[in-house]
Amino acid sequence: MSSPAVQVRSRVPRLADLSVARARLSVVPRTTGPASTMPFVLLVTVLLVGGVVSLLMFNTSMQQASFTATDLEQQAATLSAREQSLQMDLERLRNPQRVAEQAHRMGMVLPAASGFLRLSDGSLLEPGPVTNPVPALRLRPLPPPKPEILLPERVVVQAGHQRAGGDTSTASPAAGPRDGRTGSTQRHDRG
Amino acid sequence: MLRLRVGFLLIAMVLSVFAARLLQLQGLDSESYAEMAAAEGAVTVVLPAERGDILDRNGQALAQSVDGLMLVADPQMTRDQAPEIARFLSRQLDLDYFQTLTRLRKPDSRFQYLARQVPAAAVTEALEKADTLGFKGLASRNDPARDYPGGDVAANLVGFLGTPDPRKGTHPLAGFERTFNALLAGQDGSAKYQVSRGNRIPLAESTVVAPVDGRDLHTTIDRDLQWFAQRVLRQTVEDARGDSGLVVVQDTRTGEVLALADHPTFDATRPLQSPKGDLGSRAMSDIYEPGSVEKVLTMASLIDAGLVTPHTKILVPPELHRQDRVIHDWFTHGYLRLTLAGVVAKSSNIGTVLAADKMAARTLGDYLSSFGLGKVTDVGVAGEAAGLLPSGTALTPQTKDRIAFGQSLSVNALQMAAAVNTIANGGVYVAPSLIQGSARARGGQVVGTDETTTHRVVSRRAAHQTMLMMERVVDPEAGVAPGAAVPGYRVAGKTGTAQRVGEDGRYDGTFTVSFAGFAPADDPRLTVYVVVQNPRNGGGGGSVSGPAFSRIMGYALRHYGIPPTGTQPSRLPVEWRPR
Repeated sequence: MSSPAVQVRSRVPRLADLSVARARLSVVPRTTGPASTMPFVLLVTVLLVGGVVSLLMFNTSMQQASFTATDLEQQAATLSAREQSLQMDLERLRNPQRVAEQAHRMGMVLPAASGFLRLSDGSLLEPGPVTNPVPALRLRPLPPPKPEILLPERVVVQAGHQRAGGDTSTASPAAGPRDGRTGSTQRHDRG
Repeated sequence: MLRLRVGFLLIAMVLSVFAARLLQLQGLDSESYAEMAAAEGAVTVVLPAERGDILDRNGQALAQSVDGLMLVADPQMTRDQAPEIARFLSRQLDLDYFQTLTRLRKPDSRFQYLARQVPAAAVTEALEKADTLGFKGLASRNDPARDYPGGDVAANLVGFLGTPDPRKGTHPLAGFERTFNALLAGQDGSAKYQVSRGNRIPLAESTVVAPVDGRDLHTTIDRDLQWFAQRVLRQTVEDARGDSGLVVVQDTRTGEVLALADHPTFDATRPLQSPKGDLGSRAMSDIYEPGSVEKVLTMASLIDAGLVTPHTKILVPPELHRQDRVIHDWFTHGYLRLTLAGVVAKSSNIGTVLAADKMAARTLGDYLSSFGLGKVTDVGVAGEAAGLLPSGTALTPQTKDRIAFGQSLSVNALQMAAAVNTIANGGVYVAPSLIQGSARARGGQVVGTDETTTHRVVSRRAAHQTMLMMERVVDPEAGVAPGAAVPGYRVAGKTGTAQRVGEDGRYDGTFTVSFAGFAPADDPRLTVYVVVQNPRNGGGGGSVSGPAFSRIMGYALRHYGIPPTGTQPSRLPVEWRPR
């Protein structure tokens, strides 16, 4: 009658022993030593110091660049001002009036007529004969006229000839009034 | 637990203080702090836009902008060294010694102008030298300068700028400078940034509005030709003792004005030394009666209408009695037997009136209007006068008689040149232009070569026959203006000697003498028009304006390398014999 109970009781401690045996922890020998904190601290320090230093250097170089930029800008302004004044000098030297006066001093004159060399067939177009003598080109204005009071009184001698003028370069009547050369008649109202 | 709570409380209190301070800084006092910050080293500078240049057709500058500076002084600092500084500046910058000395010693002043609109390089150099010499109290400020390298060359068209106002900036007073100011001026920019000891602080707040530079104005003027025309014109007017004169040189095919000279004119670098009346272009603003030059327009119209030919025989009486007055010729003669070509060659008023009798007044008026008379050319010169072409009821038969030979109507020089150019261009009117491309003028109208219009006025045949008649004008035997001939070239032209209208609206006994023509006659490339007002040497269109025409035309033909055509000039008969 008690046998099943004995059987159970005898089985339980066995299970307990097993689980106790299983559960009992044993000290395992260390495979590595304790982890050092130094590398991490170093890394952080290096990062921090590096960051600060590079920020400083960056800032310094920015400032340096700013100085250089200001210097260069000033230099550019000076140079462009000089270039402009040289350009101005050049334009003054190229002024046709100055060139003409220089050429005149060197004894150069304007041609009255010129020939043409035709490049297609190598023929020469001779300049035409110059019939009208051309006076030299006056490069400077005439001095302002003297006041009337300084001019000697004119003596007019009536000579019977005609003076040049009118629509022709030969002769035209000058004795009569000059009106009506193109106009319809003597002084009259306008249209 | 207690320690933790106390810690949190402390942190909360500190943060509250921070928050309160933040609120005070950002919310309540923000403006005053912003002002303080802005005042601390903030700089706002105007970035001046560079004014565009005015160029000739080859890109040579007629007006150019130069970085300029003004030299200013603080008399309180300069007073002690005034004589030394004045001597130094008078040598360095060519300033007047005594004036500079007075300004350097000015009492009760801390700001005096010593020189304005000086090229920047010169001022900078002078200031550097002054610094090494130990002169104190000199400084420079921005003051853009305008340079006119040609002096009086094309000054009548280009105009000039007044002294710039420190607040309003440039101040255009005349010519293209004024008309096209909007195009030339551009838009000033500005820059705002932080400065420390003269150096810009990087990464600090900065705003830059970039300036928009003005655009260059390209004109159709040829600087060399313009100069030559001005010199020949000056010599011509001086020798003829005339009041004034003008020259127009036009490219026949494109209508571009290559030179437009006025005398007297002014030096654009010293505009205030010339009388006010000389500061514009009389060629555009003054109107006058063209005289016989207009006859070629009448003749071309008559031929185009099929009413006459160059061979039409006309018996020219000594004088012609018309409704209200007698018409004379410029030379006394008996009965002349002239062909129409002879009428042109001898410039007979009577012959022209008789030929024009075949045409109705209105038709002639329409033709002349089509030639561009009575309408502004609108080339971009302000103050252009439209001229006067009678029409409607004003165009009576008597008026028409006089219009036929160029009186009782008035023109400006460019109108007349463009009208004669129509004959040169085979009967097609080309609107003249002074601006290459296109540009918007002050009045809002767009002008320039891009806007050029053309229209046919007379047939090619009529233009050709008119040209043949005009060629006889410069013939030594048949014509009245052999002095206008250009050696080696065929030249067609016409003289004009017109009565001038005086102040009171009556003919005052003075004359306008002119010559208009084109060459080479059978393949025209250039049209030249020379006008002299009131010559006192008794000369007429042929003897005063003719030689000037010949010189300018000869120079222009050589300048552009236009060879002679090598053909024979016209031999149209000028007289006829009764059978």
